[in-house]
Amino acid sequence: MSTIMIVEDDPKINQLLQSQLEKYGYHTVNVEHFDRVMDVFTEVHPDLVLLDVNLPKFDGFYWCRQMRQESNCPILFISARDSKMDQVMALENGADDYITKPFDYDVVMAKIRSQLRRAYGLYAPQEGERTVEVAGLKLFLERMELSIHENKVELSKKEALLLEALMNQYPRVVSRERLLEKLWDEQFVDENTLNVYITRVRGKLKDMGLEGAVETVRGSGYRLKAVWEDGQ
Amino acid sequence: MKLFLRDQWAFAVFFLVQLILLLLIIALDGYWNESLMIYAVFLSVFFAGAFMVVRYLTHRSIYQRLSNPVQSLEELTQTHGNAAICRALDETFLEHYRLYKEQLHAYENKQRDYTTFIQQWVHQMKTPISVIHLLLQNEDDPTAESVREEVDRIKRGLETVLYIARLDRFEQDFLVEPVTLHSLAQNVLAENKRLFIRNQVYPELKVDGQWRVESDDKWLSFVLTQMLTNAVRYSAGKSNKVTIRAYELGPNVALEVQDYGIGIPLEDIRRVFQPYFTGENGRKYPESTGMGLYLVKEICGRLHHGVELESEVGVGTTVRVIMSAVLPTLQDRKKAES
Repeated sequence: MSTIMIVEDDPKINQLLQSQLEKYGYHTVNVEHFDRVMDVFTEVHPDLVLLDVNLPKFDGFYWCRQMRQESNCPILFISARDSKMDQVMALENGADDYITKPFDYDVVMAKIRSQLRRAYGLYAPQEGERTVEVAGLKLFLERMELSIHENKVELSKKEALLLEALMNQYPRVVSRERLLEKLWDEQFVDENTLNVYITRVRGKLKDMGLEGAVETVRGSGYRLKAVWEDGQ
Repeated sequence: MKLFLRDQWAFAVFFLVQLILLLLIIALDGYWNESLMIYAVFLSVFFAGAFMVVRYLTHRSIYQRLSNPVQSLEELTQTHGNAAICRALDETFLEHYRLYKEQLHAYENKQRDYTTFIQQWVHQMKTPISVIHLLLQNEDDPTAESVREEVDRIKRGLETVLYIARLDRFEQDFLVEPVTLHSLAQNVLAENKRLFIRNQVYPELKVDGQWRVESDDKWLSFVLTQMLTNAVRYSAGKSNKVTIRAYELGPNVALEVQDYGIGIPLEDIRRVFQPYFTGENGRKYPESTGMGLYLVKEICGRLHHGVELESEVGVGTTVRVIMSAVLPTLQDRKKAES
C-alpha cells in the first residue's frame, strides 16, 4: 500500500483529498503543524507527496527543497497559483508535476498513479485498481472488463466510462449531460455519439444475458436496472 | 531669442528714454558739443548693447528652455548655467520634479498594492471554489448540476479578473515558444466541455495536427476560451455547431472560431473591441460584460498577433487570430505536398 503525504492547510480540501485517496486504497498522512513538515516527512517516508504552495510560515517551494535533500519520492504541487513563473519555480525546486486548483479528482488520481508507476514501477493490478460493483456485477476500470458470476466481457474505454457513471449512481438516474461530460476527454462527444455508445453497452450487456439493464428515462437520462437480481 | 527680446524691450526703451533725457538736460543747460554728444551716445549704447549680449549668452539656456515645450520629465533635472537666476530656476525645477515623482510613486505603489490584492483575493477565492468543486464531483442530481453551472460561472469570472490584473505586468508573465494549435484547442475545449454540453452546442475541430505558431500557451488559451465562450453564448438555441479551424494565410497562420448564431449588428461591429461595450446583443444576454473581445484584442496586441472579426446578423460571427507560423510548419507542409 502506498503512503501519500498531504501538505495542505485548508482543512476541507485536505479531508476531501484524504477520503478520495483512501477510497482507492492509498494510505494517507496529513500535516497538522506547518512548522514541522520535515519531521512528519522523515518519520513516515511517504511514497508520494501532495504539496500546496501557499502555506503558513514557509511556502511549498521551501519544503520541496528540504524534501529533495532527503528523498527522491514524487512530489506533486497543488496550488491556486497558475502563473507560468509558479510552475517553473515548482519544477526548479524539484517537483515532478503541478496541478492547479480547482482540480478534478480524476486528474489528481491519474497523476498520482502515473507518478507512482514511474517511480516504483507499480503495475500490480491491486494497487489502486478501481472497481465498481452493483449486486454482483463488477467493473474493473484498469482492465476495462465487466464480469458477473463467471461471465466476462471486454469493454472499450468509453463503454467502461459510461458503465462506471451508471454503476456509481445506481439506482439513480444519470443525466445525458453528465454522461456527455464523462465521455468527453480528448475527443468531444455529441448526442448522436452518446446514443451509439449506449447502444453498444446495451449490446454487450445483452451478450451477458442482461437485456434491459440500461433503462432510458424520458427527458432526463439513463438508469441502471439490476435485472439480473430479479431472475434469481 | 524672441523671448529674450520680448523680455528686455522695456529695459531698452527705458534706457533710451533716460539717455535722451540726459542729453536734453545737458543741451538745455547750454552746453552743446555735437561730437561729444555723439561719442557719449555711442559709448552708452555700446556698453548697454554689450551688457545685453553677455546677459543673453549667460541666460540663453533659460530662454530656450522657457520657449520650447518640455518633452519629458527628465528635462526638468538638467542644469542651465551658473548665473544666480539660472541656479534658482534649476532648484525650482528640481523641487517640482521631486514633488511630482513623489506623487507618481505614491500612485504607482497604490496601483501595485491594489493589483496584488486583487490577485491574492482571487487566489483565496479559488480555495472555496475547489472545495465546492470537489464536493459536487460525486453528486448527480439536478441541484448539484445547477450549482456546478454557477461554480463554472464564478470560475470564469475569477479567471477574467486575474487576467485583467495580470495584463499590467504582461512583460513578466509571458513566454513565447512554439505552440501546437491542435492540442491547445483540444485542451481549451476539454476545459470548457460543460459550457458546450449545457448549451447543446458542439465544437467542430478543423485544425491540422502540425500547425505550430510562435505564441504563449497560457495567454493564447485564454484568448481562445474567450472566443469560444462568445461563440457558444451567441449560438445557443439557434445553431448547435461552432467551428474552430486553422489555415495558412500568406506567411501566417490564422486560427478562427466561427459560429452560426445571432451575429452582431453592423453599427456595433466597429466597437466590439472597446472595453465594457456590450451593444445590442449585450442587452439580450445579461451575462455579457463587454470585456471578452476587448481582452482578446489587448492580449493579441501584446503577443503581436492580429485580430479580425466578421459578422452578419442572423448568419453568424467569425473571430480570427492571425499569428506567425513556426517556420518548419510551412516547410514541412510544402515538402509533404510536393
